[in-house]
Amino acid sequence: MGSELLTEEEAAPPKTTYTDKFYEVFPFYLSIGMTYEQFWLEDANLAKYYREAFEMQRERANYDAWLQGAYFYDALCAVAPILHAFAKKGTKPQPYLDKPYPMKRENVKQEKKKPADNGASRGAAMFHAFAVQFNKKFFVSANERHPADEGGGVNNGGND
Amino acid sequence: MGKYITLTDKSTGKVYTLEFNRRAIEAMERQGFVITEIDTKPATMIPMLFRGAFMMHHPTVSRDVIDALYDAIPDKRALIEKLTDMYSEPLLALISDSEADEGNVEWGASF
Repeated sequence: MGSELLTEEEAAPPKTTYTDKFYEVFPFYLSIGMTYEQFWLEDANLAKYYREAFEMQRERANYDAWLQGAYFYDALCAVAPILHAFAKKGTKPQPYLDKPYPMKRENVKQEKKKPADNGASRGAAMFHAFAVQFNKKFFVSANERHPADEGGGVNNGGND
Repeated sequence: MGKYITLTDKSTGKVYTLEFNRRAIEAMERQGFVITEIDTKPATMIPMLFRGAFMMHHPTVSRDVIDALYDAIPDKRALIEKLTDMYSEPLLALISDSEADEGNVEWGASF
């Protein structure tokens, strides 16, 4: 059986020819885009490059699937607050990403810069709004106090 | 481009490119060529190997011309070694390099 020694009588010449092997793998190379002529008639090493290209395509497809999963995860996280069974009334979902993830290195650098800019401008806007509110309050309270001040002034004026 | 040999016929000035594609190997094997028999049946297999090397780029060259070229070649032994090496290329190109990395067996050679 499998544990027997190979003797000279048993060591038969290989029956698989190169042609058999070629026909065995030919469908695979057709499936990755190689043509009949390229496989049988052209440079034999072309198969190697087709295989490498196929590996790159698979890697890219894998990355795309992963990226889609990441977007899907983000979307789920954004709507998670309203999916909660005991969510408070009026709970709203978080907005979805306003743009895709940056892919190029320059875009990544720009995106890293942007949050700081946004934060600064948002802070300035908040401060401005606070200042407007504060001034409004100040003027309103000043106007409300005005009649009393006037009376006081008259009295004071009389006293003075 | 894969491995190839250029052959210049000084009498005619014609240059031949010897190379194997898979179609040539298939045709050679159909005609009875077996690479493993090159040592046991050299008189039959070596001329077949040489003729097969013309199939890819010079399929219309007659057998007489090829045989005459073979007779005129010096250092046939080195040529046969090169041709044998070239013959394996179409098959080796189908074997992934990564397949070799997956095994747990290491090997070494004394030459």
